[in-house]
Amino acid sequence: MRSGRTVLGPVQVLVLGFDQPAFTGEILAELTRLREAGVVRLIDLLLVSRVDDDTFETLAAPPGMPADLGQLTVALLRGPETTSPDDDSDLAKVMETAAWSLGESVPVGSTAAVALIEHIWAAPLRGAIQRAGGVPLDETWLAQQDLELLEELERPEH
Amino acid sequence: MILVPRQLQRAGMTGNVPYYGGRFTPAQAYAASHPHAQPPPAQAAVVGTRGNPGRVLPASHPPPHPPENPAGQLEALQHLRDTGVITSTEYQELCDRVGQC
Repeated sequence: MRSGRTVLGPVQVLVLGFDQPAFTGEILAELTRLREAGVVRLIDLLLVSRVDDDTFETLAAPPGMPADLGQLTVALLRGPETTSPDDDSDLAKVMETAAWSLGESVPVGSTAAVALIEHIWAAPLRGAIQRAGGVPLDETWLAQQDLELLEELERPEH
Repeated sequence: MILVPRQLQRAGMTGNVPYYGGRFTPAQAYAASHPHAQPPPAQAAVVGTRGNPGRVLPASHPPPHPPENPAGQLEALQHLRDTGVITSTEYQELCDRVGQC
């Protein structure tokens, strides 16, 4: 999982909530299959429990997983120990653009899995877009109702 | 271990997409400044079905810049500034364009 290889593709932060975490290995098995197919790579996985408005408690890795699982994600997501004027400037810059933190996604008292997933398949596409002079203007996912509409529109008889 | 998460910059699959953070998107800004105009030119519409490339309908083009009521535009700009949609600097720039400041 933490292979130390260069990150080439876009990395998604996937946050999944669980009422009662029951990790059977099915998700990891699917991620392993996708990795072997060169589609995505699970870089790291962190389990957290939302303690209060400001903090999370990190949870132990599921049985059978590397003991250091999640450390990379913690290092990436955690706030700075101290704040300098430069940090303030950087923070202001982030706030002016699109900002996100784990605290916005996970309700207090709940448990979540935070996965860093590299989309290997997207690296060549992103390169092609950049070489063509394409500039990202927007990016979103279709909601279920629009997926159903799309499915209907794609039917041959339509 | 206790984790206090920081703010991260949000990005899309293909790069950093624009974020309007509760402010107007370009289309909304255009609509607000051209209340009687047609929608802004966007992408052309494609009409067709699967297996049939169809035809491309040209995008509609609104009339160029009708400076209708400068006083009304100024009032609208003041409202946008007062409600925090635009900054004072942006207000001044837009005021200069309207020619009422």
